[in-house]
Amino acid sequence: MKTVEIEIGTILAGTISAITQRSIFNRLGPLAAKPVSQLSGADRLAVMTELENSVRLFARRNSAELIALCARVLGTEAQPAAGAGGSAKSQASAMSATSAGAGSHPATSAGGAAAAQAPPSAKRLPIEQEKDIATARLEAWSESVRIGLSKFTSVKVATAVSELARNIVFYAGRGTVELRTVRDDRGGSGLQIIAVDQGPGIDANKLEEIWGGTYRSQRGMGKGLVAVKKLVDEFSLETTPGRGTTVTCMFRGER
Amino acid sequence: MDQTIPIIQIRSCLLVSIQTELHDRLALDLQESIMERVRVTDAKGVILDVSAVEVIDSYITRILNDIGKSVRFMGALCYIVGIRPAVAMTLIEMGVELDSVNTALTLDLALEKLELLQS
Repeated sequence: MKTVEIEIGTILAGTISAITQRSIFNRLGPLAAKPVSQLSGADRLAVMTELENSVRLFARRNSAELIALCARVLGTEAQPAAGAGGSAKSQASAMSATSAGAGSHPATSAGGAAAAQAPPSAKRLPIEQEKDIATARLEAWSESVRIGLSKFTSVKVATAVSELARNIVFYAGRGTVELRTVRDDRGGSGLQIIAVDQGPGIDANKLEEIWGGTYRSQRGMGKGLVAVKKLVDEFSLETTPGRGTTVTCMFRGER
Repeated sequence: MDQTIPIIQIRSCLLVSIQTELHDRLALDLQESIMERVRVTDAKGVILDVSAVEVIDSYITRILNDIGKSVRFMGALCYIVGIRPAVAMTLIEMGVELDSVNTALTLDLALEKLELLQS
């Protein structure tokens, strides 16, 4: 009984890091543990969509080849045409059919066309333990690529989310990170990150030390918030000691 | 979540490839076992390969710096290899320093530098 995780993991091994693979299977949820033979048609498409996005984002090489291999294992490629030459043709059509809406090459999907097509969305992710940090980071990364932010900016987004989620886990215990795509007045897409917790908050003295660069925490470097502030285009922080903290920041799409 | 990060010995160097999410306990365990292996094997250098790490935030930076410092205290050199361009750019923008470790582009280059030191 080969599960989705085993079959797809074999294909991705060596090309996509173990960290990323785990996050991808996390995102697939219960589907990852299902045997491939027991997937319904809708399941197969859902798995394939997720894989396509992730593979295109993270594969160090040959993403088209990997996607085709995944499609073959999942049986989502188009029915092979009768006769010779059918397999090559069906592979090509499977790829074009499933990659609609985004360019088949990462460089093209980061262009303005993809940004215009991406529908606005909002996702709220619960942050309760260390593994949620990795999930939030990956989610932020794929979201920023989806709305057309550049590869470098996407890494900045992922890093900022990582810092904010880590602060929640370390200091508040639990909270949420919300990712919201926004349109600016010039029609470009941006990504808003809202990190909310009901933790201990930060008192005024400490806040002064943080922004002054003199604060050093036990576990981190005491520089997480300062780092986030430098990375993002807009930053605001609301905190009430004893009530919690809300950090709102924004990445604007570049033109 | 019982996992350890393997430490491989190549001649007089120790090689650690980070392929997993570094959380608190794992990072501490790694630091301890690197130090223990440096002592036992009399290693001249420790190479940390982070090419599989897609995002390095201030917390991971601090872990890497801590490992670098402790290795240096023991008289060995610590090299970080495989930092991705986008990660490097992000670290610069954040104003975070990787100042307790040396860096090299690839594992080969780090080994070369460490070998040169010994001859």
